[in-house]
Amino acid sequence: MKQIELLSPKVQECIRKRGFTRLSDAQSQAIPLIVEGKHLVLIAPTGTGKTESAMFPVFDGLLSLPAGGGFKAIYITPLRALNRDILSRMQWWCGELGLTVGVRHGDTPMAERRKQALKPPDLLITTPETVQALFMGKVLRQHLKNVRYVIVDEVHELAGSKRGAQLAVAMERLHVYAGEFQRIGLSATVGNPDEIARFLCGDRPCSVVQVPVAKHLDISVKYVGDDFRHQTEVLSRALKREGSTLVFVNTRVTAEALGHALFEHGDVEVHHGSLSKEVRIDAEERFKKGEIRTLICTSSMELGIDIGRVDHVIQFGSPREVARLVQRVGRAGHQLNTISRGTIFATGFDDLLESLVIAKMAKGNEIEPVVLPRNAADVLANQVAAIAVEYGEIERSAIVEILERTALYPRCEALLEDVCKQMEEHRLIRNDGSRIITTGRARRYLSNNLSMIHDERKVPVFDMVSRRTVGTLDESFVVGWVHTGAVFITKGQLWRVLDIADGKLTVEPAKKALGELPSWEGEQIPVPFNVAREVGQVRRTRKIADYAAGDEGIAFAGGFLSEMDKNRSLVPTDDLITLENTDDGVVCNVCAGHKANEALGRVLSILISARYGTTVGLELDAYRMLLRLPSSIRAADVRDLLVSLNPAHMAGILQLALKRTALFKWKLVQIAKKFGAIDADADYEKISIHRLLDFFDNTVVQQEAYRELLSDYMDVSTAAAIVGLVKDGKIQVALGPHSLIGAGGLLSSRDQIPPPTADHAVIATLKRRLEQDDIILACMNCRDWKSKTVVSRVPDPPQCPKCGARLIAAIKPFDEEQYAMLRKPKKNAEERAIEQRLVKSANIVLSSGKKAVIALSARGVGPENASRILGTQADGDAFYREILKAERNFIQTHRYWS
Amino acid sequence: MKMEFIGEGPALIIEGEQRMLIVADLHFGIEADLAAHGLHFKSRTERRLERLHKIIDSTKPDALILLGDIKHSIPSLTWQEFHELPKILDSLRSRVPLHVFPGNHDIGLERFLNEDELQPKDGAIIDGVGYLHGHMIPAPALAGGLIVIGHHHPLLSLRDEVGCALQTPAYLRAGIDPKGPDGLSLSGKGTPSRVLFVPSFNEIAGYDILQIIKKPFSPLSRLMNKEDTEIILADGTYIGPLRALIPDEAD
Repeated sequence: MKQIELLSPKVQECIRKRGFTRLSDAQSQAIPLIVEGKHLVLIAPTGTGKTESAMFPVFDGLLSLPAGGGFKAIYITPLRALNRDILSRMQWWCGELGLTVGVRHGDTPMAERRKQALKPPDLLITTPETVQALFMGKVLRQHLKNVRYVIVDEVHELAGSKRGAQLAVAMERLHVYAGEFQRIGLSATVGNPDEIARFLCGDRPCSVVQVPVAKHLDISVKYVGDDFRHQTEVLSRALKREGSTLVFVNTRVTAEALGHALFEHGDVEVHHGSLSKEVRIDAEERFKKGEIRTLICTSSMELGIDIGRVDHVIQFGSPREVARLVQRVGRAGHQLNTISRGTIFATGFDDLLESLVIAKMAKGNEIEPVVLPRNAADVLANQVAAIAVEYGEIERSAIVEILERTALYPRCEALLEDVCKQMEEHRLIRNDGSRIITTGRARRYLSNNLSMIHDERKVPVFDMVSRRTVGTLDESFVVGWVHTGAVFITKGQLWRVLDIADGKLTVEPAKKALGELPSWEGEQIPVPFNVAREVGQVRRTRKIADYAAGDEGIAFAGGFLSEMDKNRSLVPTDDLITLENTDDGVVCNVCAGHKANEALGRVLSILISARYGTTVGLELDAYRMLLRLPSSIRAADVRDLLVSLNPAHMAGILQLALKRTALFKWKLVQIAKKFGAIDADADYEKISIHRLLDFFDNTVVQQEAYRELLSDYMDVSTAAAIVGLVKDGKIQVALGPHSLIGAGGLLSSRDQIPPPTADHAVIATLKRRLEQDDIILACMNCRDWKSKTVVSRVPDPPQCPKCGARLIAAIKPFDEEQYAMLRKPKKNAEERAIEQRLVKSANIVLSSGKKAVIALSARGVGPENASRILGTQADGDAFYREILKAERNFIQTHRYWS
Repeated sequence: MKMEFIGEGPALIIEGEQRMLIVADLHFGIEADLAAHGLHFKSRTERRLERLHKIIDSTKPDALILLGDIKHSIPSLTWQEFHELPKILDSLRSRVPLHVFPGNHDIGLERFLNEDELQPKDGAIIDGVGYLHGHMIPAPALAGGLIVIGHHHPLLSLRDEVGCALQTPAYLRAGIDPKGPDGLSLSGKGTPSRVLFVPSFNEIAGYDILQIIKKPFSPLSRLMNKEDTEIILADGTYIGPLRALIPDEAD
């Protein structure tokens, strides 16, 4: 407790009054540094009094400042719910110390906001988005002049995102008014605190206090089988044994399903983001009071909202990331120096191995690093608009100064210039030499774009047949990709789009299509490379007992692998990639994690589609990719591509090909919105958004879409490293039959890679049409046999069943009577010409077989044209291109039009 | 008669006695309307006009037929249009004689046209081919021949084996039902009329062909015979009959 002697007597007294008898590690390390005025990143487990560590010295500082004069400390959290929680904790302290405190965020009533503008509280608790709003009003801006402290809570949650980038710029905009202020970042879990310090402070020196989380953790893994009923039974028994328990799940659907299954317990509630605020607060309160013992929750309960005593945390299914597991299990044992107990319920083979690896890494404190988003152009556009509104007009060099004080926009002058040019294109600002000037639109844009979170309209998907809504899709995705006739997957079923109107997508079930699309609601949490890699290693060494697997786990994993052996299946590992043929295409088992597999899968798809001229459907998870392919392309073909791939070319290949993907268009729409090109409530129905998006070719908007996709959605350098290891022979590639491992997983379906040119789609359409065309085959030898069929059913070569001759004419259905005419004993000149044509047709079929029949079935292609086409000796697509040329000539002629 | 398809337009040359360049749905000033719908872009008038100039220069037509919706704003002229349109039309007529068939968006356009340039709204025959914008019932004189129209902005979505790959402007060539549901008959002298729907020259206007079929919004689109309708891409590539596009119930 000696550290509190650094604080003023008033604060010391208050601390004693609150009943503190000793300080936690975090508190005793952090308090002296903050008192000294140092910027600080404090990393410590939940329940070690982080908030107090920061706030005791801040209270001390606030007491030494004269009363009034605006906000003096700003406490920022990523969630409104957390704001409320912090507020209720701060009210006691501030009341005792004679300080004022207020909260301001989206839910704050107008009256309260007005009061804050007139009498700003000393301590303002708020969200990053509301910080943006503080700069918009003249009065509020005045209140920023005396800010001495900014505290960012759950800083890891913000630092890696565009929300965080926006906040980093906002802090430097605040610096213009307030000068240097002290910055304090708080977090329970971070792998790289130094990078968080850069995020918080830019180049300013920043201290780091880290209280390791691992020694407080007690994590076990329990295999609970893959049957949902059995899983809930195990869960039910576990809940009865334990005291208060948080059950974390990865999706809202699972939360609902478990809640339903455990309903009869009577002391279970569900907590997730789709529930209304009232329902959630009620559940939190009842848990806190002990009225319910179990809360089933999603990431909504991950952050440090105070819900009282938690005895045990159950993670249902793999947590996928070490940071997530640590954060979640850290919710248990909310008292100083108690151990946080957590159990992972693993539900399958991948899930079990993954959970074991993550649990081990958590104990080793191997938490994933946060990657700061550098040079995000859409955040820049958003902040330029904000600055334009704030100042009316301003020199670009002044903006550069603000930006370069952050760590996120090093040397950003050229980028800023591009962004300003593009913003002018959408009439958000005007450029006037070296200055930018606000426009009438900018303020309205800003009020709708305070947040960098893409708050998307969801488009309901309505099934025409069952006449019910089957799900929702993100609007950006719908406008960027979906069109009448498109086939996509949602809720595990294929749908064909019938209509897009009145903000609704009308669909019907489609029975068969090779293409597959994601459901874009709730993206998957990616499994990192390191985790997937170690899972591969466990598959290879089979030393499952080295991990905390438990008896059921060891038995199940051992049994699974020996089943693989019994089937003579190859087990893909960290140094073996296996490729398997299936009915749908080729499965590539690669233990590389989601993002690297995304990059590798896309490169392979692009190369396949370029080589074979077909669209490739791609689905993947951390351990495998399914390439949906026509049956003619096999695993061996994919292997040849994989082993001949040059790692250095992968990034370039992705750049080129991403442009045509649904993912890219979806991103482009989102980013265009932040550049002010597309309003949040824009009406797309009257125009072709597909063509509108072409306006962004070679602009900074397109560039940002690439930057984000290549850094956030996929990991090209890791994928390239894997290919490099294949090249060096350090990773083997083998072909095998479809295996248990290959058939597992694949929960996150993604995207399609269209072929490189429109040409392929046109040719595919032509092939389909010609195959379905009716054609009459007629023997020109015995002249006594004709048969109507469709081109696809014509044998090669066609032959007369009566006389066995191969002199078969191919006649279009509307010329059918010509064959009967042959029997006329006396023919006029015109009829003799027709006879000549039929003979010629038969001669071509005799020499070229079915290929001639295909040519002759084309529009406006008679024997002369057909023999010219066949004379070019073109094959495959080239042959069809010749047919296209002939048809194109035909429809330019009078014959077609009259 | 000979046709040439100019993919960069989309634009069409019909050559009989005379060489005619046909362009539909320029929609100058569409940007103001886009903004009203939440899409904010600077005017692309100059780029659009330049594209048209280039096509005139390279195809050297005897006349330019504008199939309506030269301007976009309805129900009146905007300030921008009032100032831009005379210059646009001057720049065109200085290169080539004009025939303008006003469309539903062309309210107030007449004042900028010379008497010999303005054609009737319900169409006229030029060099053996009938033309109109396409929002009205065609004049009886056009019945029985080829009728070339704009107004519909057809776009084709093409799929290959695994899904969508491309959305692109396309022409529709359709036979006309001799006995339409409106009791309208467009067959003259025993020969049925044929209609050519020209895609929009404007880069962003577009309706999916399947939407036009499902929800026809003009007399001619209601009368078209779906069994006798074929699709041609902007560059003249023959895609095939419409029925191949309509999703097959069986698959």
